[in-house]
Amino acid sequence: MSYPRTSRPRRAGAILAAALLLATTACTDQSAPAPAGGTVSVTGPLCAALPTGTEPGNPTALADLPVDQALTWMPTLTTFEAALRTSGLLTDLHQDGITLLAPTDDAFAKKFSDDTWDTLMTRDHDKLRTLLKAHLIAGTRPLDELAAAGTATTLDGVTLTVTRTGDTTRFGDTADAVCADYLATGARIHLVNAVLGPLPTTADGSGHRAH
Amino acid sequence: MRRHRAVLIALSTLLTASLTTIAAPASAAEPGQVTGLTVRQADGFATLAWQPVDGATDYQIERTPVDAAGTPTGTATIVGIWRPNRQINQESPTFADAGFNPGDRFQWRVRARFDTTEQPYSEPVAGTTTAPWGNPDVPGEQLRTQWETTHAAQYTSDTEEYAYTAAIDELSDRVRVVEIGRTVKNRPINMFVIGYPTPPATPEAVAATSPAAVNCNVHGNEPGDREACLIMARQLAFSTDPRVIDLLSHTTVLIVPTINGDGRAANTRGNSTGQDLNRDYSLIRQPETAAYVNMVRQYRPVAGYDGHEYGNSRAGDLPMLPPRHQNVAQPIFDESMDMIEGHMYTKGAEDGWWPCPYGCDGGGNVGLGEETILRNTLGLKNVVNSLLELRSSGGQTRPDEGNAANNRRRKTFSALWTFQQFLDYHRASLPDIKQARAESITFQAANTGRLVFRGSRPITAHPAPHPGSSPPPIDAPPADLILDNAPCAYRLTEEQYHGARTDGPTGAVTTAAERIADHGWKVIKVGDSYYVPLNQPERGLIPLLLDGQGVENLVDGERIYPTSTGRHTGPLTVTGFACLDDATVTGPVTVRSGAALVTTGTTITGPVNATGAAGVLLADTKITGPLRVTGTTDAVSLIDLTVTGPVDVSANRTDNQPLLVGNTVNGPLACAGNTTAPTNLNISNTVTGPRAGQCATL
Repeated sequence: MSYPRTSRPRRAGAILAAALLLATTACTDQSAPAPAGGTVSVTGPLCAALPTGTEPGNPTALADLPVDQALTWMPTLTTFEAALRTSGLLTDLHQDGITLLAPTDDAFAKKFSDDTWDTLMTRDHDKLRTLLKAHLIAGTRPLDELAAAGTATTLDGVTLTVTRTGDTTRFGDTADAVCADYLATGARIHLVNAVLGPLPTTADGSGHRAH
Repeated sequence: MRRHRAVLIALSTLLTASLTTIAAPASAAEPGQVTGLTVRQADGFATLAWQPVDGATDYQIERTPVDAAGTPTGTATIVGIWRPNRQINQESPTFADAGFNPGDRFQWRVRARFDTTEQPYSEPVAGTTTAPWGNPDVPGEQLRTQWETTHAAQYTSDTEEYAYTAAIDELSDRVRVVEIGRTVKNRPINMFVIGYPTPPATPEAVAATSPAAVNCNVHGNEPGDREACLIMARQLAFSTDPRVIDLLSHTTVLIVPTINGDGRAANTRGNSTGQDLNRDYSLIRQPETAAYVNMVRQYRPVAGYDGHEYGNSRAGDLPMLPPRHQNVAQPIFDESMDMIEGHMYTKGAEDGWWPCPYGCDGGGNVGLGEETILRNTLGLKNVVNSLLELRSSGGQTRPDEGNAANNRRRKTFSALWTFQQFLDYHRASLPDIKQARAESITFQAANTGRLVFRGSRPITAHPAPHPGSSPPPIDAPPADLILDNAPCAYRLTEEQYHGARTDGPTGAVTTAAERIADHGWKVIKVGDSYYVPLNQPERGLIPLLLDGQGVENLVDGERIYPTSTGRHTGPLTVTGFACLDDATVTGPVTVRSGAALVTTGTTITGPVNATGAAGVLLADTKITGPLRVTGTTDAVSLIDLTVTGPVDVSANRTDNQPLLVGNTVNGPLACAGNTTAPTNLNISNTVTGPRAGQCATL
């Protein structure tokens, strides 16, 4: 990979403004059925902490983006987004429709130490891909549909229970949906508050990572 | 770069002069009610100040979005908790509210609490917050980072960083962007070199301005400081504020936004090999850290900050820590402490930010003496500096940061405040910094006192409540990591010096020789051996890498002790490697071709003549009689000498700069025909006679 320094003068502001314009211009798309009125509504206790209304990255603005692009607009998914990108999994899968159970940054921080995570990201890519597959479900599945089915099989071959208690929908034993039903092109994204899969917890919970 | 247009400068001056403080209307206060609330807008934050209430245990800060007419457009939220340990002067409470979208309008109220009992709110004060810096209609000023454009939903990507950086480079005469290296994955590591009206043309010329350096992003998953650096680069490049012009007229600002571009792109702490780069600044196994150390050698910043984020939710807003390793010279430690406790604590109390020692409030086992950490490495390179942490979460005092954007903005704008304050500190304290640096370099070169391989200077606790009431652990050096009898030099074999190594990225592992060269240490080859004398400015760091007792060393070098101490009368002829310490020589000293002379604490009466020597490294030495060093092949270093008689440093053939640092010459000083021009490291020599040739300005 090579990243030559830009030698040609560019106006970054104009480029960014154009990108922003593109991202905030939501329109309907045959493959991503947006709800009536063209707005996407997401549900869950974390949604208020994410871009809302007309802010850049609001749910409606993401509905027509490819899923890898949509993930970059969710400020609490930086770990998951980078992991998917690093693994190359989405490109390799060629799924027509896919559902992502996306653990938040806090969920990853609770699960893995920095050392464990860096090892997964820099060396153990097979293990990383298996971990990520534990968060992917074939088809674009709304949360209500998954809850009604009661189970869901992830791409690592594991069948999870999906249980709904009150307003809370839980995958497996610990992962609650905290902001569900984001749309992207050919994809549904449900943010969850715990990492799925069999890898052991290595975070020590102190939060005292030395500088 | 291109020429500014005067009309644009005039226009932007008009637009940037907009600092206002708005106060609540005076009215009769209820018992326990906060009075005198004022709100002052700044870049990305608003400083609230109020009259303290007798008996208050803490204060709550409420913020409500309002329209131009003052009608609320959203819900009132408690965004801040003021506690007495936030600041050194609790009788003048302040709070920097941050996290809001810059440019939006709010009203604020403050109320005291007696334990948990809430008292009446103050009268409200409304204000429009300061929009992102730079007039959208002025070229250059109009640039925005991806982070700003996306309202902090996205961090600025690598390619957006390069485009933004190139645009600033293109549009500002004050900025030169240089690539100081490449990452393992070949991403460029860029540095802004910023001066007014233009930055000096060469690294040596920049070094002569005693630059200030900010390292913004070493851990890829700690991106808050980097966004502050990108914004600050734009401000420094285009602002017509007299403060900025004044700063840049007196020094050069060095900003490295991203040394860990691979880690940033993958959002990992380490680089693409998994190496934590802030455990690698001494060993410089990785190209990223080697690039930074190489930059420090060439540009010689005298002061620095190193940006991080910190997971301890009980910490202050801005944990900071000086270089603590006990081999760091006392004046560097003291001045770094003064930067933190003198400047940052004082300014934090004025502006409402909460700096504190790293580890503050139950910080655990952090902030110690590893020389692999940039804070300590820079201290061992005689750079006044501090670590900066941005508390990752809102913690107990900023309850509204569940919102990701609010949290990101508070962190970045607190970093921006710190870095701007760092530049103000540098501007105000440069004479003190330079004095501390000069004293430290001469202290180190004298090679006196014990060495420790690990262990920190204590950070004294202030009586609570105070930001400094809970410093990091003592971290005294254990007995088995103390060396009371420091050697004169380390001797390395050919295999140790040039041999292949395995500690580094596959296919790009550097030799000990390359790493020593990056650090800038003088090395003398005599016979088959490579000698690294300790009478050098980085004396505190050399043993940590070259001694077998070093905890994370490079090689197990052989300790070489002085070959002569005490009295010597009569001619002294040096063949091979000679080290004089605490010696008195009466008689002429001759250093033969291919030989090396190292001295400390020595008095020589008689001429000293080295012709074609391998190395001449003299420090803390008195010489009566002419001193002549010519034709040297490997290294020349003259530090803190007192010479009565002429000094001639000529025709030396070293590929590294001969050092003439802080000497007193009672006589003429002449330098001519040296392959590499000598430097004084910005520490002047006192010369009574004429200075000639390459030494004319030293």
